[in-house]
Amino acid sequence: MKLLPDCRDMSSRLSEARDSGRALTLGERLHLLMCAWCRRFRVQLDVLGLAAARAPEGGPSLSAEAKARIRRALGA
Amino acid sequence: MTDPAAWPDAYGDRLFRYALSRLRDARAAEELVQETLVTAFRSRDRFQGASSELTWMTGILRNKIFEHLRRQAKEAALGAVDDGAREDGLFAEDGHWTKSGAPADWGGEPAKAAESAEFAAALRACLDALTPAVAQAFVLREMEGLGPAACAEALGVPSNHLAVLLYRARMRLRRCLERSWFAPEPAR
Repeated sequence: MKLLPDCRDMSSRLSEARDSGRALTLGERLHLLMCAWCRRFRVQLDVLGLAAARAPEGGPSLSAEAKARIRRALGA
Repeated sequence: MTDPAAWPDAYGDRLFRYALSRLRDARAAEELVQETLVTAFRSRDRFQGASSELTWMTGILRNKIFEHLRRQAKEAALGAVDDGAREDGLFAEDGHWTKSGAPADWGGEPAKAAESAEFAAALRACLDALTPAVAQAFVLREMEGLGPAACAEALGVPSNHLAVLLYRARMRLRRCLERSWFAPEPAR
């Protein structure tokens, strides 16, 4: 039996903990203390979540045809 | 309330971008924006003015996106189509990150990158490369902020399968962003 989770375990556990909101176990926290790569991975999950939650600012616009079609559907 | 004839110009682009970022399908996004504005028009008597018109319409659009994704998940039996083969090569046999698979350094303040519109565009491009089941799980959970139980229900998958889909989404998105956005450099 492994005393500490390895990086593969940690990657899935960190993802799961992000969704469940559970606290990390002692073994998981110890692994993070020792492993810079898993610490980076954890930061990356946060960054992905932050970026995804932001409303898109730029990007494509609704086409003129679609706007005209919607105006017709609204009876305007 | 503003004149409904002005809604397509006033709100159409922002609603469209919101829908497109979640659906990754311009035609479906256009249809849902149209349905949203028609629904808003029909229920305009119920608009109390407690929030802005755009916020109210975005709420209507959000519900329509959920319905659309739920319908799509049912039609495509999304839970069964992702084999996870693309996680190969990230971990060595001993379970530790391989040198080529290890998370790269995303710079001093990676959270700042998340605030840029360019990073958001790169993320959307990476999202386009995901399989539908994996992408939809990520959209519902991280973009819409739905709880895990509601996500699983919307996608018609058990909660443990949802956890696998979200894990794959995050693993693939971070790899994709490392290649397309962050300059690759040795992790340590």
